[in-house]
Amino acid sequence: MAPATSQPPAPAETPIETPAGSEHPVRDPGWDVLVWNDPITLMSYVVLVFRRLFGYDFETATKLMLQVHHEGKAVVATQPREQAEVSVSRLHGFGLQATMGRG
Amino acid sequence: MAEVRKRRGRIQIRLDADERAALLMIVEQLAPSLGQVRRTVPVAYDDPEFQAEYDRWVRPDIERSREADLDVIRDCIGSGEDVTVLTEEQALAWARGLNLLRITAGGIMGVEEDGWEQQADDALRSSPEFRVLLALGLIQEELIAVLEG
Repeated sequence: MAPATSQPPAPAETPIETPAGSEHPVRDPGWDVLVWNDPITLMSYVVLVFRRLFGYDFETATKLMLQVHHEGKAVVATQPREQAEVSVSRLHGFGLQATMGRG
Repeated sequence: MAEVRKRRGRIQIRLDADERAALLMIVEQLAPSLGQVRRTVPVAYDDPEFQAEYDRWVRPDIERSREADLDVIRDCIGSGEDVTVLTEEQALAWARGLNLLRITAGGIMGVEEDGWEQQADDALRSSPEFRVLLALGLIQEELIAVLEG
């Protein structure tokens, strides 16, 4: 589930090819960036990371952090693959458990 | 006790000589375990082929940045000063580095579930790793409060 508000500026869908005879391009549904719960990492730190990396306001970052805490994981962004990989690598740089998968 | 504050827009961290010596010892004892403890291994993909590419092209940068974060901490506590002024980026490096050290200590302790602080028995509470987790967490909380302030 991608957050409905304060999304990163990247589009959630990116056209990747247009089959012959089709009016509409086939769209990449995007890759979900998931953050997983970690029992050691401080909640306030997770909020800080979400705000710094994705530009979320405090309320949205806190909501996502609580989703991670209570449900074990949360989709924090849905992005084209390359951008999602950059996001995951930056989350790893901050020491969060993050993975990506096709949305 | 360690203290972090913001004065006139400048982030200051205060650590006395004993705290600096203890922190340096913690950094040097835990640093070799970074990337060995499961939760410090950066796993991005379920797909083994994609993950192999990630390990080849991205993981080295992550490991370099983590080492750079610990170097910021080492430089600060090696300065011999009780009070060090940090830039915002250095304060973030401290927050990242402390988080990594805490995850590593927690991994060594075998912490897998939330609520480990409340559930810890007396033996665990008296262990060096438990005290390290709490002490680093206090400094990290102060840094976060200043960075978010």
